[in-house]
Amino acid sequence: MDLMKSPISSTGKRNGQGSQSFLPSLLPSSFPTSTVSSIGILGRLRKLHQNPSLGLEKLYRHLTTGVGNSIFLVIFTDVMGGPTHRILMVSDFFYPNFGGVENHIYYLSQCLLKLGHWVVVLTHAYGNRSGVRYMTGGLKVYYIPWRPFLMQNTLPTFYGTLPIIRTILIREKISLVHGHQAFSTLCHEALMHARTMGYKVVFTDHSLYGFADVGSIHMNKVLQFTLADVNQAICVSHTSKENTVLRSGLPPEKVFVIPNAVDTAMFKPARSRLSYDKIIIVVVSRLVYRKGADLLVEVIPEVCRLCPNVHFIIGGDGPKRVRLEEMREKHSLQDRVEMLGAVPHAQVQSVLISGHIFLNSSLTEAFCIAILEAASCGLLTVSTRVGGVPEVLPDDMIVLAEPVPSDMVWAIKKAIHMLPQIDPQEMHLRMKDLYSWYDVARRTEVVYDHALKCSDENLLEHLSRYLTFGAWAVSRYWNW
Amino acid sequence: MCNCNSLRMTMVTFANGRYTYIHDDHGGPFQAVDSHHIVVQRISTRRFLVYIATLLLLANACNILMLKENYGAVLLWSIVLGFFLAKSLYWKRVLKESVVVMPTLGVQLETHYGSGRIVRRFVPMGKILRSVLNECVTPVTCYWSLAFILRGESELMLVFQELRPPVKMLVPIWKALCAATESKENSYTVTEDSH
Repeated sequence: MDLMKSPISSTGKRNGQGSQSFLPSLLPSSFPTSTVSSIGILGRLRKLHQNPSLGLEKLYRHLTTGVGNSIFLVIFTDVMGGPTHRILMVSDFFYPNFGGVENHIYYLSQCLLKLGHWVVVLTHAYGNRSGVRYMTGGLKVYYIPWRPFLMQNTLPTFYGTLPIIRTILIREKISLVHGHQAFSTLCHEALMHARTMGYKVVFTDHSLYGFADVGSIHMNKVLQFTLADVNQAICVSHTSKENTVLRSGLPPEKVFVIPNAVDTAMFKPARSRLSYDKIIIVVVSRLVYRKGADLLVEVIPEVCRLCPNVHFIIGGDGPKRVRLEEMREKHSLQDRVEMLGAVPHAQVQSVLISGHIFLNSSLTEAFCIAILEAASCGLLTVSTRVGGVPEVLPDDMIVLAEPVPSDMVWAIKKAIHMLPQIDPQEMHLRMKDLYSWYDVARRTEVVYDHALKCSDENLLEHLSRYLTFGAWAVSRYWNW
Repeated sequence: MCNCNSLRMTMVTFANGRYTYIHDDHGGPFQAVDSHHIVVQRISTRRFLVYIATLLLLANACNILMLKENYGAVLLWSIVLGFFLAKSLYWKRVLKESVVVMPTLGVQLETHYGSGRIVRRFVPMGKILRSVLNECVTPVTCYWSLAFILRGESELMLVFQELRPPVKMLVPIWKALCAATESKENSYTVTEDSH
């Protein structure tokens, strides 16, 4: 199957008009996507597979239970399963930090482990947490004792990390290196060293970047250098693919689109539906410029004025929190706008299920997992039409608006009208069908297989790719 | 007169050739004692290079002596340098590290230096909670080390202070230590129950 062109979307229609394409799971049948049950089922199946003497009788019993169909599908894939890989995930962003990239790496690694691959994660040390740690499922994490210097990134000494990366690649017998996030210096260095040593390399880009400001120009140049020689790349939405291809000069054939997913077992809707006499709008995000906190300051008073029964709950912290507090004071909205402060990841679900509508006002997003979490909890989403957001949810689960206050107020009013038709449980079940980390892992496996089939090159061929980036890049390479 | 027939020795050498592992499982009167030795190979090329380097340094010192005619400073400098060289190359050089396991008594850890100095540490069996193989990560490398978890202490005690033998040599030592500590633990619980 051609993963680059999903059968539903087409590149042309993405510029905000007409239909929005969304990226569903490729597995048509309903699948036990809850992680806990998957562990149990797959564990039992592994035993059956390895121990044929356990017999057909047990297999028959499994097949005739309620989850029979999905188990049969798993048996099929397990028996058909391709070669297993030993993968090294590299990023500056991992647990104990919480965020989109961190969760992506963690869930993807867990699902790959369940598929039978061996996954090791490499990241920098966080405070006292340094050395080797093991996480759920036997996920080995190396926290190498390099101090972060700027925004969680390791100090970029060009050859400094070579000894430790080489040691880890050899002792873990890695077959493939998977780097995450363009902003991570450790990722760039690891990819460069791995390519020089002849390993196959895959890169995933999680964010959109600009082209005009100084920071972006430098970052894009670094990205061009690193991605010149990567085997395959993965982007989280079609918009993100366009952005990455333009910034890095990668041929589009090398880039796959695999969306993120959501842990639907954790994000479940409330048991009983909330009453509609008081409409509650939930906002959970970092209160920074990029996430549109300034838009919120304009939108909230207007909505409160137009709709007297609307209340807001704002979770999250950041530099723009002060502006929101001022807005509350100015319009005397203390009883209608509740500010929760920073919400730990484990409590996000309980905050979400206390509302009817989820408001996302980001100014740029490659793919918005927050929207998925809200939809999984049965909330109707109102969001700005930026980046990859139109590709995330089907039309009846989301109302899109331009990132201007008047348009957003209109969208919120439309959402309030749509509310009675929304059934949270049904939304949750649809999300379970559409998005699952297991599906993301299966698609990533296909990318790995493509990467490993790429031909081996000698050093000269590999070096010639860097020639396009100027003499400085090549001379730096030769010095080493 | 030593009973040579009962002395079983297992020698395992590895490709890198730097370390040699010797396992002394004494029969005879000292049946219970189990010694494991890790001996550092003296590589002849390395010694040769060290001699060359020393000669070059002395030649350099003489050269400076001729040019500057400042005998005092040069003499002092060469003595100090010579002292540091001797210290690092001969006195601090580790010849051998051993682990002597006495199942009911404890474990003796020895380090033999080039100068003839031997540093011994004894750990009573009751103090050892468990012996563990750790993966240690430094900014440039990652290696295995063998350590004890001691009762009542928060720090691990390293078995091999100076050397970093490969994990293939550490595993049989670790197994022997586990076997010795487990048998002691069983007897420990029996005595506690009886109180």
